[in-house]
This record gives sequence, C-alpha cells and structure tokens, in this order.
Amino acid sequence: MRALVLATLITSLTAGAQVTDTQLEQPPGQDWLHYNGDYESTRFSTLDQITRGNIGSLVNKWTFHVPGPGGLESVPVVVGGVMYVTQPNAIYAIDGKSGRLIWTYHHLLVKVKDREGPHRGAAVFKDRVYFTTTDDYLFALDAASGNVLWQAKIAETDDGYSSPAAPLIAKGKVIVGISPGDRGLNGFLDAYDAETGKRVWRYEPIPHPGQPGSESWAGDSWEHAGGDTWLTGSYDPELNLLFWGIGNPSPDFNGDVRAGDNLYTECIVALDLETGKMKWYFQFTPHDTMDWDAVEIPILVDAPFNGKTRKLLVQADRNGFYYVLDRVTGEFLHGRQFERSQNWTSGLDAKGRPQRLPGKDPTLTGVKICPSSIGATNWMSPTYDPDTHWFYFVALEGCGIATMNTEKFRPGGYQYRAGGDVLLKDDTWKVSVRALELTSGRQMWETPRVGSTNLGGGLVSTKGGIIFSGESPGEFVALDPKSGQVLWHYNTGQEINAQPMTYMVDGKQYVAIEANSDVFGFALFETQKPGK
Amino acid sequence: MKRWRFAFVLGFGSLLSANGQTPPKNPVGHGSEVVAAGRAAFNRMCTGCHGVDGGEGERAPALVGDRRFFRLSEGALYDTIENGIPGTGMMAMGKAIDDGDVWRIVVFIRAMRGSASDTDVQGDAQHGKEIFAGKGGCIKCHTLQGKGGTIGPDLSNVGAEMTLKHLRDSLTSDTPIARGYKPVTVVLINGQTIKGVAKNEDAFSLQLLDYDNHLHLIDKEEVQKEDEGTKSLMPHDYDKQLSKEEFQDLLAMLAKQTREGGHKRIDGDGEVGR
Repeated sequence: MRALVLATLITSLTAGAQVTDTQLEQPPGQDWLHYNGDYESTRFSTLDQITRGNIGSLVNKWTFHVPGPGGLESVPVVVGGVMYVTQPNAIYAIDGKSGRLIWTYHHLLVKVKDREGPHRGAAVFKDRVYFTTTDDYLFALDAASGNVLWQAKIAETDDGYSSPAAPLIAKGKVIVGISPGDRGLNGFLDAYDAETGKRVWRYEPIPHPGQPGSESWAGDSWEHAGGDTWLTGSYDPELNLLFWGIGNPSPDFNGDVRAGDNLYTECIVALDLETGKMKWYFQFTPHDTMDWDAVEIPILVDAPFNGKTRKLLVQADRNGFYYVLDRVTGEFLHGRQFERSQNWTSGLDAKGRPQRLPGKDPTLTGVKICPSSIGATNWMSPTYDPDTHWFYFVALEGCGIATMNTEKFRPGGYQYRAGGDVLLKDDTWKVSVRALELTSGRQMWETPRVGSTNLGGGLVSTKGGIIFSGESPGEFVALDPKSGQVLWHYNTGQEINAQPMTYMVDGKQYVAIEANSDVFGFALFETQKPGK
Repeated sequence: MKRWRFAFVLGFGSLLSANGQTPPKNPVGHGSEVVAAGRAAFNRMCTGCHGVDGGEGERAPALVGDRRFFRLSEGALYDTIENGIPGTGMMAMGKAIDDGDVWRIVVFIRAMRGSASDTDVQGDAQHGKEIFAGKGGCIKCHTLQGKGGTIGPDLSNVGAEMTLKHLRDSLTSDTPIARGYKPVTVVLINGQTIKGVAKNEDAFSLQLLDYDNHLHLIDKEEVQKEDEGTKSLMPHDYDKQLSKEEFQDLLAMLAKQTREGGHKRIDGDGEVGR
C-alpha cells in the first residue's frame, strides 16, 4: 500500500507538469486549473471526500504566509499537488500537501505608480504558469522552477492601466483583461500566443466612429469611455466562444456627456476565440450611471428551458437582476430581480432591457439609488451545483446617495468618475449568500453574512454536497446547498476577500482559501503518527 | 553605528538642498583603468575611516553595501568627498585630494556599489553568449532570456541584480550554496532514488526539483535516506576552465543581462535616504 502511495506520488507530480487542452476542459477534480475551476465557471468540484457527514472533522492542515501588504484576492490554481498563488507582482509555488514554499518570483517595479493592485490569480498550460503584473506585463514562467520564459507588455502603466485579472488559457491562447474603467481609459481584451508571447488579437469593446455601436456614444465621448475587462470570463470549447463581462462607461456618474446606450459597456460579449471578433452581445444596463460593471462571472450550463435543452449563460448582475441567456445567440430568455431594494427600474421588458424610472440618475445634490455603486453583487465568484440545479452567489442589499459633477478627463491615469455615492450602511445594508433556481431565478434560500458590511469572498460547490464560503470577518464557512444551513466554520482571524477552491493530492481532498496575507489549507483530520 | 549612518544620510541630504546647484560632471571617464586608479587613491586616503576597499570602517560606514541610502549619483558622491558632511566626521577632502583622484574614487565607489549592468565591462558579449551555450556549459543549468536549464538560478536579470564583483566571485570562488539550490539525493522507502536540488525543506517535508525539471513533494516519513551535498553544483573555476579572453567575454555578457521593465536591485543612481 505504501509503495502504491509512493508510486502515485511520483507519477502524479510528473504528470502534473504538463497541462493539456483536454485537461483544461475537464471539471475540477484532483487539479484546479482555472480561476473559476472550469471553462464554464461553475466552480463545482467533482471531489466528494469531504461530505456533510464528515465535515465536522475538517481541520486546518497548513498555512502559508504571503509576505507583503496582505489583502489577497486571488484564487490559487493547483497542478499535480503544486499550488500557484499570486499577490500583486509576485507568484508563489507551494507544496499543496504541506504548504511549504517551492519557489517564488517577484516582479520588481520601476515606479511607485506601478504598484496598484489587486491581483486575482495565475493560469496554467503545458509546463508553464502565467500571470500579469500591475505594470501591465504578462509573464510566462517555467512551472517547476519559476524561471521566466517570456514577458509581454499589455499596456502602458503611465496611461493608468493595470492588469489584475487571472488569465484564461484556451487552445494555446492566453486571454488577459485590463483595468480600470474609472479613468476614462478604453478597455480591451487581448489574446497572446502561449508559446511565444506574441499578441494574436485585441478586442476593443468601445467602437470607433463608423463601427457598429458607435451611434450609442454622443459626440467624441467614445474617446474616454471605459469598458474594461477586469475579471476573468468563461469559455465554451464546443462553440469556441469566450464570454466576457465588460465594465462601466466613463465618466462613471455623469451620463450627460455620453448620451446613448454606451455600447458595449455593461455587456456580456461573446467573442470568437480564434479572431476576437464579437459574435453577439447583451447589455444589462444601457447608459449606466452607477458604476455597475457587468464583469460578474457568467456561468455556462446546458439545461432544459421551456421544455428544450439549451446552452444557457446565467449571470447575477451588479444592477440587481439575474439573467438567463441563450449563449449560442445571446437571446434574452429570462430575467428576475433579486435585489429587493432596487429602485431604479420598474423591471425588464421582453428583450431584457430595463425600464428606467425617472429621477434615478445621480444629480448635483444627490439621489438615493439602490443598489449602490458597490452593486447588488460584485466580483465574488458564484457557483452552480448540478446536483441541486441551483445558482449560488453573494448578494448585497444596499443603497447609496449618488451625486454627479462636471469633472473633465485628464490624461495620465487620473480618476474620471465625475461623481460618486455615499453608501448608506444602515440597518437595511445586508450581505448574504443566496440560492436561485437556475432557470427561473426564484430564490430558494438566503443565509446572511453577519459581522461586516463588506461582501467578502466567493463560493465553491462540491460533489460532496458542500458549499464553501469565505466571509469578510474572516469566517470560512461550509453551507448545506439545499438549505443554506451552516455545517462548519473556521475563524481565519483575518479578512477574507478571495474565492475558495478545492483539490486532491495523494488521495486527500484539500480546501483552500486566502485570508488577508495567508493561504489556509484544510483537510479531514487524521491522527499523526509519531516522528521517526 | 546606526546613529552615525543616520547622520551621514541627513547631513548629505541637507548639503544637497543647501547647495542647490547642478552637480559637476565626471571628467575622468569610466572603465577598468579608472576604477583601478580610483581604488588605489581610495586606499591611500580613505581607509583610515572606511576600511580597505571600503569594506569595513572603524569610524565611518562601510561603502560596499547595497543599502538604499548609499545609492548616490556620481555628482552627489563627488560633492560629499569634496565638501564633506557638516556635523559628521566626514571631512571636506577637496583640498587634500587632487580633483582627478576625487573623481576616480567616485568611479571606484560606484563600481563597487553599482549593478554589473551599470559597469563598463570590457569583452565581447556575443562571444560570451557562445561560451555560455558551448564551452562553459552554463546553459545546461541556467536559463538566459527564456532558454536553458532550470536547476540553477535564472540569469536573465543577473546584470541588474549583482555587482560586478559578486558576479565575478560566483564564477571563480567557492561561495556558499544559495537557498533553493542545495544538491540532494533521496532514497525513498520503496527504493526509488531521486536526485536534484532542495527547493525547500523542513523536518517533515522536502520539495525537490530533479534534473529533468520535475518537482517532487516528499513527506519525510517516506524517506529512507537523504544525502545533502556540501558543495554547490556551480563550478567555481571558470577563470581556469576558460582562457582569460573567454572568461572576460562571458563576464561581459552576463553583466549586460537585464530584464525588460525590471527594476535594478542595485542602483548606482538614486536619491539620498529612503
């Protein structure tokens, strides 16, 4: 038995060095290869060692301290037991069994200005690991040693760009997004050749004059228009389409200077992986004036809808609505309000377009708008459990007093928000984890997150019948997917703003989450043997 | 000692601001001959306080460190030597040392502190690259600009990260094994032998990179025997393995290795203080 374990150890680690396209298309099991676990972003793991029955024995097995300022927001990826963790401008390879460091690579910056975070994670392909930096480089490193194989410049930091998102790798292309859209910088999404680092295509969500959608921008407002790509999207290998959420228009709060729908901000866009050409789009919030980036993670599920199995894309948007789209065509199938307190629209029409209520745009003196600019949800990853057929996400009930001003665009990376909102963190401000029925959006349960007004981290679901949830006050919690009941919790002692993930090494399932400046690894308790 | 260094920094900072003039420019140039002449002048005039080669001072800071407050531009260094630092033991040496020698000392100090890439290293870098990949055998263990072995450190930014002295010493002296590169041979309980370098280790686990670039995550309880190498895998006799010309070309090539956009860990030019 021992020999078998050792054989498994050696072969699994050797095999882990090479990540193939086929592996990237599998649901997460032993390895966790994507920011959101799989191309479909379901964050549903096939691992079932940790169950409702034994979760009381889940214990912290190791902790890895990440030196630096803390505030970790990334998701580790794991290949063959080796975990790759990032913080801004640094990546760490960690032994997934012991939490011990294997190697680290720090990208040293030239200017203080280059230091803006956060960072959300790495991607893996073949024997390489990829990550971006706050000064807009994409790095390819040798996964075993951390040696740099190539680096590519994505954007100019002096303009104000940074690159926080975890890359997504599909069929030899490394897809990387850009941030922020709050400085009047037009966003883009790039594809780089994973082998050479050469840029293959660039998709620009803001149309230039004469291009389709340009009529949705008044005058020359398209020039400083936002529309960034700061969160990782999803991918359908069969359709060969990427699905990416596009951020807010600029200036965020003054819509008067950019009359029109402001395409393709606040959209989910479907892009051909080979060319970067847009196949379809759906806009959640035309002419947004509340900074409700539509970058929230789209989950891809094939499921019956009105009696027919369809390729669906579901997304809980920051504007307070849950959407069900046909991901082949972009057709709006269904939408449902999930934020009870929303007050900016009377609802969605037959095509999913929100019917705006008058007087619900920011003014010079201030207007109460719900949700606030934080949104009814945000970058906290949702999850879909195919056993319950429910969609789980982190929701926020909360409003803000929104004002606008006439701030002008200034080059050099300065804020171009032209307003803001005062968050009304009173008794009505509530954070919770919610379960929605996949196709109807009907709420099945809601479990509050207590002790903080911050949203906290995201979710992961498992075949073992558990949902793991990282809460802002530092509690790492396991929930029953059918009822939302708390099954287990562990106080990390630090604020959590990251998404959990799970993996297996040598037959043992681990669950990991980052909390402030540490990574915690959990597994079922087993008695330690005396040392040699 | 700390207080003395602090005074050195503050004093120099105030001198600069009081002076407010553009620092004079170096009239003696750079290059190995200037550095050698500067070293001789330094050891004639400065060792009483700063120690031989600026290595260890009895009454003043050692000058060979790479602390940030030592990263002074040529003009600022010249000013310090010429005019001293008021309120500290650093005297104005302008009248005691020939102006040309002051500049040569400046070049010597910067050559000690500056990164190798900042230093004018004679040699044919292109030929050095050939030595790296060929006769020197370096590429078997080291990555250079994305190509090469992984058992040794990536040298793609080594010119920015090391002083020239450190770089030369690593090629010619038996220096301590760097963390993450200790050679190990492990025999597991099942009889399997794995050889490589220990990327990390404690009493309970070992993270080993083998010579085929595979990582092994090993529980110590599965280890029957572990042999740790006491010598670095890095040969330290390149000055003997290679001809004088080949060695110099290799050194010149390595000194030029910097990564695009990468910060120099050791920077000859910089502000006083943090």
